[in-house]
Amino acid sequence: MENKHVLDQIPDYLDGTLDNETMKAVEDHLTNCMECQKELEEMRVLFKAFEEEKTTVPSDRLKAQFEEVLEQEKSLQGNVVHMTQDKKSSWANNILKVAASIALLVASFQMGSVFQQKKVDKEIALLKDETDHMKQTAMLSLMENQSASKRIQGVSYIEEFENPDEAIIQALANRLLNDENDNVRLTAFEALSKFTSSEKVKNVLIEALEKEKNPSIQVAIIQTLVQIQEKKAAEPMKRLLEQEDTQPFIKEQIKAVLPSIT
Amino acid sequence: MEALSDEMIMQKVADGNLDLLKVLFDRHHKHVYNFLYKMSGNRMLSEDLTQDVFYKLIKYRDSYNNGSFLSWLFTIARNSLKTHYTRNHKSHEDIEVLAYKAVEEEQEVMENNAQLQHALNQLDPSDRELVILNRFKEIKYEDLAEMMGSTPGAIKTKVCRILKKLKHIYLENL
Repeated sequence: MENKHVLDQIPDYLDGTLDNETMKAVEDHLTNCMECQKELEEMRVLFKAFEEEKTTVPSDRLKAQFEEVLEQEKSLQGNVVHMTQDKKSSWANNILKVAASIALLVASFQMGSVFQQKKVDKEIALLKDETDHMKQTAMLSLMENQSASKRIQGVSYIEEFENPDEAIIQALANRLLNDENDNVRLTAFEALSKFTSSEKVKNVLIEALEKEKNPSIQVAIIQTLVQIQEKKAAEPMKRLLEQEDTQPFIKEQIKAVLPSIT
Repeated sequence: MEALSDEMIMQKVADGNLDLLKVLFDRHHKHVYNFLYKMSGNRMLSEDLTQDVFYKLIKYRDSYNNGSFLSWLFTIARNSLKTHYTRNHKSHEDIEVLAYKAVEEEQEVMENNAQLQHALNQLDPSDRELVILNRFKEIKYEDLAEMMGSTPGAIKTKVCRILKKLKHIYLENL
């Protein structure tokens, strides 16, 4: 112990901050070591001086000013808290607002496109209607043309119509019954033969059978009528058989098919 | 409220209970003031700087990191003092002002008849700071270590060395 001075422990020893074991060791050492005793006494003087040192007291101005600033900060804090709360809620609000505006945007876009689609459909329907009308007009006027080839062209326009109306059927019927050109009549017949489900067309065909003088058209009409098993066609066929001017091979044709429809 | 530790109070202050700063002010403003006065020897400056320290406490309450309150408080105090000196050094004060200040400080020392203060003034500023903090405020080695960025053991050794030196100067001048 003697050689191990406790100089470094002296301040703490004086402060009484050493733990019991160290304290005891220091005390033991101090009883035997003059040098450390001297150090202890000197240090005690210094510490006494520290204790006696007047602590200067700041003026009241300091406290007053501090409390003033504190009050300012508190009023400011009120605002700040208010603002931050606002900020938070407005942050949430903003999210909602953004979401709402996006939803609105999408909804209006969808609605707009639906309306647009409807409008477009309407327009297309209108246009289609118009073109159909135009085609019909063109077809009908072509059928009245002087030139046989133009009339054939007009008749061929029937391809464009899925459900031709009365006017077209009538126009075709007129061509079939009244046109002086064989080719026009044949084309008109071919066009009409696609719509044999119509009663009017059947009647027209039967009428045409009686009127028709061109053997090839006669044959075609007969075949079609037989195909659709039109009973009413039987009478006009029999009359054709009796007629003098009927071509012999037509008569043969009629004879061949007549049993199948009567 | 008096029973609560500085740290717990400061935590509440950081959470927005500004009124509790008064408790901390009452507890510590004299210590801060005395530290600054013993470091600078200037009453007015020390009062202004003490004011400044507590303003900063209000302003930067959110940055309190739950460490030792005393370390934090005196770190602010030290920085305030340092900033003050750096700023004054930079602004190149008029030579007359400096002379006047020196006289004033001398007078105050004479008034207080402070042999100890005289001895303290002989120390390096950093040594003086350490011993003032340790002796007058009885700031523990742990807190000092936190402030100085050192270890408690190293601080203890350093304080011992400075005390011996100070004792030597003090006793010589008695």
